[in-house]
Amino acid sequence: MADRSESDRLQQETRLQRMIRRPEMGAFVVMVVIIFSLLIASDGKAFNALGLKNNIKIIAQYGIIATGAAMLMIAGEFDLSIGSMIGFAGMSMALMLKWGLPFGLGEATPFMAFFVTLLMTLTIGWIIGNVVVRSGLSSFIVTLAFLFFLRGTTEVSFRLINQSTQVSGLPDYKEESWFANILGGEVFGWFYDLWFRIGTWVTSGTEYPARLPVETINFLAALNINRRLEQWVTGFDARFLWWLVIAGVAWFVMSRTQLGNWIYATGDNKESARANGVPVNKVKIGLFMFTAFCATMFAACQVFDTNTSDAAKGNLMELFAIAIAVVGGTLMTGGFGSILGVVFGAITVGLVANAVFFIPAIDGAWFRVFLGAILLAAVFANERIRKRITGGI
Amino acid sequence: MAEPYMRVEGLVKRFGPFTALGGVDLEVYPGEVHALLGDNGAGKSTLIKTLAGVHEPTEGQIYIEGKPVQFRSPRDASDAGIGTVYQDLALNQLMSVTRNFFMGREMKTAFGTLKMDEMDQIAHDEMLKIGIDFSDPTQAVGTMSGGQRQTLAIARAIYFGAKVLILDEPTSALGQKQQMEVLKTVMRVRKRGDIAIIFITHNEIHSRLIADRYTFLALGKVIGAETRETLQHDEMRRLMAGGAEMADLEQELAAI
Repeated sequence: MADRSESDRLQQETRLQRMIRRPEMGAFVVMVVIIFSLLIASDGKAFNALGLKNNIKIIAQYGIIATGAAMLMIAGEFDLSIGSMIGFAGMSMALMLKWGLPFGLGEATPFMAFFVTLLMTLTIGWIIGNVVVRSGLSSFIVTLAFLFFLRGTTEVSFRLINQSTQVSGLPDYKEESWFANILGGEVFGWFYDLWFRIGTWVTSGTEYPARLPVETINFLAALNINRRLEQWVTGFDARFLWWLVIAGVAWFVMSRTQLGNWIYATGDNKESARANGVPVNKVKIGLFMFTAFCATMFAACQVFDTNTSDAAKGNLMELFAIAIAVVGGTLMTGGFGSILGVVFGAITVGLVANAVFFIPAIDGAWFRVFLGAILLAAVFANERIRKRITGGI
Repeated sequence: MAEPYMRVEGLVKRFGPFTALGGVDLEVYPGEVHALLGDNGAGKSTLIKTLAGVHEPTEGQIYIEGKPVQFRSPRDASDAGIGTVYQDLALNQLMSVTRNFFMGREMKTAFGTLKMDEMDQIAHDEMLKIGIDFSDPTQAVGTMSGGQRQTLAIARAIYFGAKVLILDEPTSALGQKQQMEVLKTVMRVRKRGDIAIIFITHNEIHSRLIADRYTFLALGKVIGAETRETLQHDEMRRLMAGGAEMADLEQELAAI
């Protein structure tokens, strides 16, 4: 008896056990299953040159806002205004580009349009955060109010300034503005250069290396389908890069910095965090501003990519962002979550959302059935993780 | 006799018309356990919250090493070396031992990143010093027992410079064995000799086991201040009951 202590009762886990129990493991498994199912069901089309580009486009869109939503949820709050914030930011940028800066400050460059918009959205995020922490009201209600408020403001502004709820036919700013290009242009061109060089080499007929089996060659050829020996996809959308940057920074902050510790502490138990000197309110306000930033990046990539905007942009995106965060292993109650899991969640949801384009036989509405099902499964899985950590309470 | 590290003179705290503390005197010495006993509503919580800087006293003075001090916030008190371990321990269950240990006071490199390995090591060593060899400081606090959590909170307060350690009912809500673990931890801290401990409890036996001095509170006033040598067993009973005589209580009960 005497040589046994309390800590002996905690079973030491092996490395493998630990890995299996990580919060993002569920999301990872689901992702792998989806990737393989889609690969088979679409005959490889989902991951050919254009398929990959299109999938990554929507994955990155989801990923950008889900990262913000997940960090805020880890700090114990929700933001239902993300979708409306996307619409608002898109409206603001498009209107400035078309009608000039406010207060007659002259024509707007892409940089100025983005910068002034970001200033506004960050201010709104700051206001939302302040209302939440000062009133002590549920962020669910406060941000629901801003969901309506911002969507309404967006539509009213469109009608007042533009006489129509959409802006189209803007000049292609990517051509001359480097700034518009880094938001709406293309990135990682080298990837497709390499891809097509390999594709050409494999399928051009004369120089098949005898070592490669026929199936492999056919598979590689399928990935490079429709090419007619020409490179017809030149790069990924720039939002891919922004997603990687935002997710990378978020991962670093959460796992390696003081701020990350403060975010976890704030969401886990606000009072304990405060008692230990964590500036709980500042953390929350900052994260409301961060979700506003993510929504603005979402909108900016869209506006500069398509040179259009309309009042319905970003509709329902707040719910997708929250769903992806939960699928990625983020707890609804705060204090726990994984950025890597959110990356897996975004890939899963993005692929399924896009699946209808590659498998025309299926009804697109199945996407929402699927999302509902994995969301429910994820909530149960997350609850199990929470109970395990807190000893079943 | 040694100089008390902290001395409290005529401490009065009123909340509107309600007098929570009606003139409390208290002295705590390094290397001693000072038990603060009293019934519910006696003013124990108000007293420790005033000492911890949560409340400002209405009247009276707190001295640290003979110098008068005023605490306007919990930060002031903790800077003056008063570490309070509340009943809820201010721990976050989902976070690791290390992340809890350094919560709000993380160690950073020049680039602003966390010195995770160093912090793991310190958390482990500091807890080992007062009695727990917690092999894996990356484990979540939710997996620890109540006694281990208590030790973590105490180790944290000491590491961040507490000279007066206020323990708010550390043995309540624990099982027998864990209560003993906590008492052992308190005695290890006492043995260091440089830390004064204020030990708040309902439990007569626990205070008997470890305390050097006793202060009994009832209705916001000190009704008895004793040392280990002077305190009689029956007297302790009487004071714990808020000054009522056992015989009177027996009579009252018999009358029903």
